[in-house]
Amino acid sequence: MIALLRYQTAILLRSHRWIFPVIAYGLLISVGAASSTPLAEGLDWSAAMLVPVVAFLTRSMLTAEPDAARACVAAAAGPVRSQLAALLTALGTGVVAGLAGASFTVLTGESVATHPGSGAFSKIDATFAHPQVLTAGLATALVCLLVGSAAGALCNPPLLRHPGAAMLATLAAIILALAANVSPASAALRRAGASPQTASWPGGVPLLAAVCLLAVIWGASLYAGARRDTRAASAT
Amino acid sequence: MRLESVGKRYGLRQPWVVRDVSLDLPPGRLIRLEGRNGSGKSTLLRVAAGVSLPSAGRVTGRPHTGYVPERFPGGLPFSARDYVLHMARVHGLRGTAAVRGADEWLQRLGAAGYAGQPLRNLSKGMCQKVAIAQALLSRPGLLILDEAWTGLDQAARGTLDAAVMERVADGGAVMFVDHEQARLAGRISERWRLDGDGRVSAVPGGGTDHPTAANEAVVIIELAGLEPGSAAQLATLAGVLSCDGAAIRVTAGLSDDVLRQVLSWDGVHVVTVRAAQAGGR
Repeated sequence: MIALLRYQTAILLRSHRWIFPVIAYGLLISVGAASSTPLAEGLDWSAAMLVPVVAFLTRSMLTAEPDAARACVAAAAGPVRSQLAALLTALGTGVVAGLAGASFTVLTGESVATHPGSGAFSKIDATFAHPQVLTAGLATALVCLLVGSAAGALCNPPLLRHPGAAMLATLAAIILALAANVSPASAALRRAGASPQTASWPGGVPLLAAVCLLAVIWGASLYAGARRDTRAASAT
Repeated sequence: MRLESVGKRYGLRQPWVVRDVSLDLPPGRLIRLEGRNGSGKSTLLRVAAGVSLPSAGRVTGRPHTGYVPERFPGGLPFSARDYVLHMARVHGLRGTAAVRGADEWLQRLGAAGYAGQPLRNLSKGMCQKVAIAQALLSRPGLLILDEAWTGLDQAARGTLDAAVMERVADGGAVMFVDHEQARLAGRISERWRLDGDGRVSAVPGGGTDHPTAANEAVVIIELAGLEPGSAAQLATLAGVLSCDGAAIRVTAGLSDDVLRQVLSWDGVHVVTVRAAQAGGR
């Protein structure tokens, strides 16, 4: 599995497919941080923006390998494991982006201390003195990561093979994930945003729902990848 | 390894591409799969290789597998060597063993000069060599070749023939499709034919059992112009029993492969080829 993750990560880094989502994320959280906002609100914003970032990273990973190359890997390591490595690589990159985004928000957002000192160190001190704000923000980010990954896996090959439809469906799924009431990401953000000054824990229900959603959609994607491979049109 | 009532279709409303295939692939077998275009050869090879799961039935006891697809387009952002190295690790080789395997196979297939080139710049034949290198370097117990010879130069075809016989001699199973009827003729253990409706049947008298080393005659090949480097490589070829200066002893069944390989080397000449006398063993 480590060799597979290494291989998939090398594909992501060398194909430069990471650049667009990561730069877009950087721009989005910079916009969020531009207006001086409370830390809790900034963390929610950087969490919410993880949904499109991870969805597009997942799309990148699911479309990166030519069929023949994927077949060689599948013969060596099994079709399920090789696709799982692609999904995990996208999710892992999302985790790194999310941690970077949270750190940036802590440094640029309003300090949580009542009598804030100046400078980065006092902000970090204040954040760790009131850890509930940071943990609530990170939990929301986790829900958004899982939902984003599920959206990307649902709307791209092997579950949705048509290239144009996959792109549009991914965009639609991102919007639904952030706006629809039933979405765990939206639920987590609403809970967390209910009291922006204090930041509340997003709740166990959205987190559990996100884990279940991810498990079901990843499972379907892995099953489809192993069972219905891509040679339907030209099977010889 | 065994395929039990294996069927494959690409969707619930799609027709069966292969159906009700029960096959044994015991170790040390070389199996040729035949059938006209569109009869499901590639599909059956993909199921046997574990690239794609069967829609019905099951595949049991599959050993570690190397698979060479029909076409291997570049398109991954790696150099040839980096790709083969990544695949060596995916195949379970570690550290220096992976590096050694990657370099050895690119060298053997005559692709070492292009190892640093990006995959997308490589020609079709060179891409094919990269695909073959990744499949062979882990010495897999099952080797699946889907027209792997297509696009290769003469020397590389000889190397692939020899590599296939090495796998068989090591107790590996090899299953291949090739449009060239004479491919590995005389070495094939069994021929299987896919008919039009996706069923497989054995071709009667299609295979001659691969002779085992114990009952096999020996051929002595005398060479001139051997360099120390190629002499060392000679000893690693399948079928070579011993090297005594310029004379090598080869099992008769593999002597053609060895000759083909040797003839592809610059500056090496074959002086004589003769059967070893019975007492000379």
